[in-house]
Parts: sequence; structure tokens; C-alpha cells
Amino acid sequence: RRGLGVAAGPPSTRQLREAEEAAPVFQYAGKAAKRKDRVFVWGFSYSGALGIPSFVRPDAGWKKPRRIQPTPYRLETEEKISSAACGYGFTLLASNTRDITKVWGMGLNKDSQLGFQRSRRDQTKGYEYVLEPSPIPLPLEKPQQTRVLQVSCGRAHSLVLTDSEGVFTMGNNSYGQCGRKVVEDEIYSGSHLIHQLKEFDSRVVQVVCGQDHSLFRTKKGTVYACGWGADGQTGLGHYNITSVPTKLHGDIAGVNIIQVSSYGDCCLAVSDEGDVFGWGNSEYLQLASVTETTQVNVPRHLPFNIGKVKEAACGGTGNVVLTEEGNVFVWGYGILGKGPNLIETAVPEMIPPSLFGWSDFSPDTRVAHVRCGLSQFAALTNKGELFVWGKNLRGCLGTGRKEDQYFPWRVTVPGEVVDVACGVDHMVSMVRSF
Amino acid sequence: LNAAPERAPRQRVRFLPAPAPGGGGAVELLPTRVPVLADHPLVRGPRFRKLKIGVGHRLDVKASGVFVLGIGHGNKLLTDLYNCHLTKVYTVGGLFGKATDDFSDTGNLVEKTTFDHITREKLERILAVIQGTNQKALLMYSNIDMKTQEAYELAVKGLIRPMGKSPPIITAVRCLQFALPEFQLEIHCLHETQQYLRKMVHEVGLELKSSAVCTQVRRIRDGVFTVDDALPRTQWNLQSIQEAIRNCQLKVETELEKTL
Repeated sequence: RRGLGVAAGPPSTRQLREAEEAAPVFQYAGKAAKRKDRVFVWGFSYSGALGIPSFVRPDAGWKKPRRIQPTPYRLETEEKISSAACGYGFTLLASNTRDITKVWGMGLNKDSQLGFQRSRRDQTKGYEYVLEPSPIPLPLEKPQQTRVLQVSCGRAHSLVLTDSEGVFTMGNNSYGQCGRKVVEDEIYSGSHLIHQLKEFDSRVVQVVCGQDHSLFRTKKGTVYACGWGADGQTGLGHYNITSVPTKLHGDIAGVNIIQVSSYGDCCLAVSDEGDVFGWGNSEYLQLASVTETTQVNVPRHLPFNIGKVKEAACGGTGNVVLTEEGNVFVWGYGILGKGPNLIETAVPEMIPPSLFGWSDFSPDTRVAHVRCGLSQFAALTNKGELFVWGKNLRGCLGTGRKEDQYFPWRVTVPGEVVDVACGVDHMVSMVRSF
Repeated sequence: LNAAPERAPRQRVRFLPAPAPGGGGAVELLPTRVPVLADHPLVRGPRFRKLKIGVGHRLDVKASGVFVLGIGHGNKLLTDLYNCHLTKVYTVGGLFGKATDDFSDTGNLVEKTTFDHITREKLERILAVIQGTNQKALLMYSNIDMKTQEAYELAVKGLIRPMGKSPPIITAVRCLQFALPEFQLEIHCLHETQQYLRKMVHEVGLELKSSAVCTQVRRIRDGVFTVDDALPRTQWNLQSIQEAIRNCQLKVETELEKTL
């Protein structure tokens, strides 16, 4: 009789193989699976600059508000963000789309640096703190054709660069940093005014905000500036405020500038031949290689023998440049990234590439971009890793630790970091998923 | 070992009575060298009856490769070598498309997935992330105060290493071969077990939105000992063992002096 009551026993090899071949195959990602673009934020959240309202006003009663986000946290956005900028307590996100909403802002809005955000409770007033990325209404002539290329934020003002309609400025204008005439006793809070700047010698390709001044770089390689000039940061040869963007001369007259950078009161410009020019505040030895004075109001060439410079970034007290070979040089004052012993230097010092992940195993790892916050530095490698160092003000470094970081430290981000924007106490990064 | 020529028996001086030259009857004491009877081979027996063999870092049943042993007095060096915390290098072979319960290809099948979307660049990206997170763990577990200048200098040279107990840390990963569905990685690690490496292969598969099992784990380097110094099964005889010990002695001494 057929042994129906017989137990199965351990499966033989043939049965195992057949069971394996008959098992269903799952597909999690197709061949054409695209890598998604994401935004990660970290740092101080009470100002709303991180764009996550549950950190400031928790959605459940028992949850506590999160003052500091010490590690990268994902921010959900509707569109792919192509450019981001962190100001002093607020953030701007811009997308390259042709839709009507191109720029979102969050954080402090006491000087209307995020435009007018109509309050839902009172239709006449605006919000002073914006906790979520809210669209900024730009007065565009052709809103469905113009694209926003870049955004930049300063202490209380912001600049939006478009491809065909010039530069839009909003926020505080007490020093003329928005490029329009200073109005006495102007109330900036809840203001609808967004100024448009179009008169430059050619198309503007980069906008940079310092603390209370603005810099514009045009396609021809000239630099325009407006705003506060008491430290000479406008580079126009005087220490007064300028309310109309004016062309800079000095050592950069006739030089094709390919990049400008500023965040505090010092400014750096890089020419296409790899020379570095600086002007502005030099109290922290940023420009001490050319002058002993503490303010320089005309752009001066900085004679460094470090090779052809590709990119420069200015912080509040320290500066960093990246050369064509991929070496990173720092100088200035503060935590510069070479251990606790190096506090200040007037001559650029190189940070060894082994700290950025270069080793015998991966000899082609090099730094691709450098960015500066007020007292932090960030470096992006070509492998998509983010290294930060500097003062860890309210968790802005994103390392998860509270202490200051004296040498470059990796930030764990789940993805390949494409770009990062550093602010005073928070940072925003644009990341592509694996 | 026991057949090897032995030390000559100890000699001692004994005063033995011997007949004196000239005059019969008087006995004189003459000092002579006489072998000690206790050292006689028939009295003492074979020199070595058992050997103390100690083992270095563990190696799984399913893994293969360099396995460090210490003999006799060498066992003391084993603890010193362990305290050096040197990295070990493995070649790990993996297979995409399958997931099993014990992460190796002999386990029970859990899931099968597609893998044709995986490219070498994606794999290398994941490996770079793994290296990055492990680098952070390396610095954190080394218990060095990050704020000191010497911490910075050690970090520049890449010498920061955990000198105590720590969870498994991978110092470097590299992709050696990539031919779908198979791939091979070279992993440098500290304080790990082979099962952890198999789990690592499985996690790489998960990160690439597929699944992977580990087919081969082979240790090619354990601190200072590499595959070239290791003796294969055919050479497990006295001469080669002694030669290997002599070759490695210098290396071990320099390494110990450098670290301790």
C-alpha cells in the first residue's frame, strides 16, 4: 500500500533544488530605476529653518519639541530642489522647474526675507516664523517660462537669480543690500516689496549674499556689489553704504572672474586663471598676506603659491580654497581643520588629503567642492561624501556629537551628497539616493 | 621531533674513588666528568610527550585561509599579537539574486530577487558608504579625545585604531571582480567574525535593492602573516614548520615593538 501515513523526512538535494527553482522571484527595482533626489537638513530647528514643523510644534501632546537635529533628517519636498541657501536662521530652496512655484522659504521672516507669507488667522498680516517650506510669490513677467537658477541668503535679506528676468531681492534694506534706495524708518516685517534688478553689463550668473551686502557676478566676469561697506566688503573704494549695484575695480578690473564667495564681512573672488582676489574685513588675518590694515575696500590680488585655484569659500573668520589638484587650503582664524593647535594663520595651510578619505585603496578620491558657514567648513568629495569641521554651534555640523570638530569628519548621509549649503546654525544638503 | 638529535646529557664533576698510582690498597679521590644518570634517554624517556598549541584568531568551518598557531612558548606572543589589534584581510565572494537564512549559499532559501539593475558603480558607491560609516566607528571606538593635536596627527596618518574591545569594524573594502551574478570583495577588518562578513554581503545585497549570499570567505592576511608564509596541508611537517617559524620571527618582533 502507498505509505500515506509516512512522515516526509528531510528533503533530498534534488527536492531542495527543485523547490529553489520554483520559488517566486521578487523584483524590487527595475533596470531603469532612477535615483531619487532628496533634501536632508540638520541643525537648530526652533527658528523653523529646518522646515519640519513637528520639531517646533509637536503633533502629539506627549512629544517634546526638538531644539536641535544633530544628524541629517530627510525633508520631503514636492519638486526636485536644484539650489538651496542658508541664511541666519532661515533657508531658501529653489527648483529648476517651469511651474509657477519655484522658490520655497522657511525660518525667520521678521524682515520679509522670505517674501510675504499671508497669515491664515489674519489676512492682512504675515507670518514671522515660517515652519514649513512655503512658496514665495515672485513677481515674474513670464512665470511659466522663467527658471530660477540660484538663491542666496544673508543675515536678513535674500537674492533669487533667474535666467531671463534678472535678480529678485527681498528682505532688509537698511544698508541698501537689496539694491534699492534706503527708505528711512521702513518697516520690513510683513512687507510685500520684492525688488527686481536688471541693469548689469551682461547676464548675472551668480549671486552671493554677505552678512549685510550683496555681490553679483556677470557672464563677462565682472563683479557688482551693493549694501553695507563699513568693512570695505563692497570693494568700491569707500566705507559707505551703496544702494545701487556698482561695478568693482581694483585688482579685478579686466579680469574674468569665475566665482565669488562671501558669508560674513570678507569676500573672495577666483579668476579663470586660478588667482584669488580678496576684499573686506581682514580683522582675522584673512587678507593679512597683502596688507596690515583690518579693512580692505578695494579688491586686492592675494599672492599665494598654492597652484591654480578652482573654488573659494569665505566664512565669518576663516577662508578655504580648493585647487585644481584637489587640495584644500585654509587660513584665517578659528577652528581651521588642522587640529586644536592651529587657531590662526595668514598664509594658507593645506589639509592632508588622507583626512578626506584618500588612501592607498582609493587614490582617486579628491575634494570636489568646498563650502563655508559662519564658523564651519564643509567639503564634498567626488565619491559623494560630505566632510565637515569647525565650531559645532547648536549641532549644525551634523555629526551627531555636541563637541567642536578640529579636523574633517564624515557626515553619514544615506545617499550621494551632490551639494550642501551652510548657515550659521543649520545646514541643508541635496542628496541623490543610491 | 622526538627523533631529532637531543642535547648531550649534562655532565657533572664527581669525585670517584680510583686506584692510586703506585702503592696498592690506598684509594684516592680523582675528579672526573661523569654523565648524570638522570639525563640518560632510557631513564628520562622521550623529550616531548605533548605540545602546547595555542590558536590565534578564530576561523569558521565554512571559511578558509591563514590560521595562526602558536607552539609552546609562542603562546605568550599570541596574547601580545591580539593586543596589537592588527587588521585582517579577507576575500569574500558573493552571489546576487538569492537570500538565505544563514547568509551563505548552503542555507535555506528565503527569497529570490532580480539583479540585472546592479552595476559596478552602484556597488562601489555602497562600498564607499560602508567604508565611511566604519571610519567613523573607528575614530569613535579608539577612545582618543578628538580635541587633541595628537588625535589630529594620528588621523592624518591613518593610525587611529581601537585598542580595546570594539564591535566589528571594517577599515577598507574594495571590489576585485564583478561579473553578474557573482562578485568578489577584498575586506580589511578588525574584531570581526566570518558570520559578520557574510551578513555584510547580505546587507550589500539589500542596499542594492536585491539580495546576495556569500559563497566564499578566505582570510589572506592576519596581522603580519600572509598566504605566502602559510603552510598548506602538504607541508605540515617539521622542517617546513621550523623554517616558517624562523621566517616569521623577525616580522612578529618588529610588529610587537612598534605597537607596544
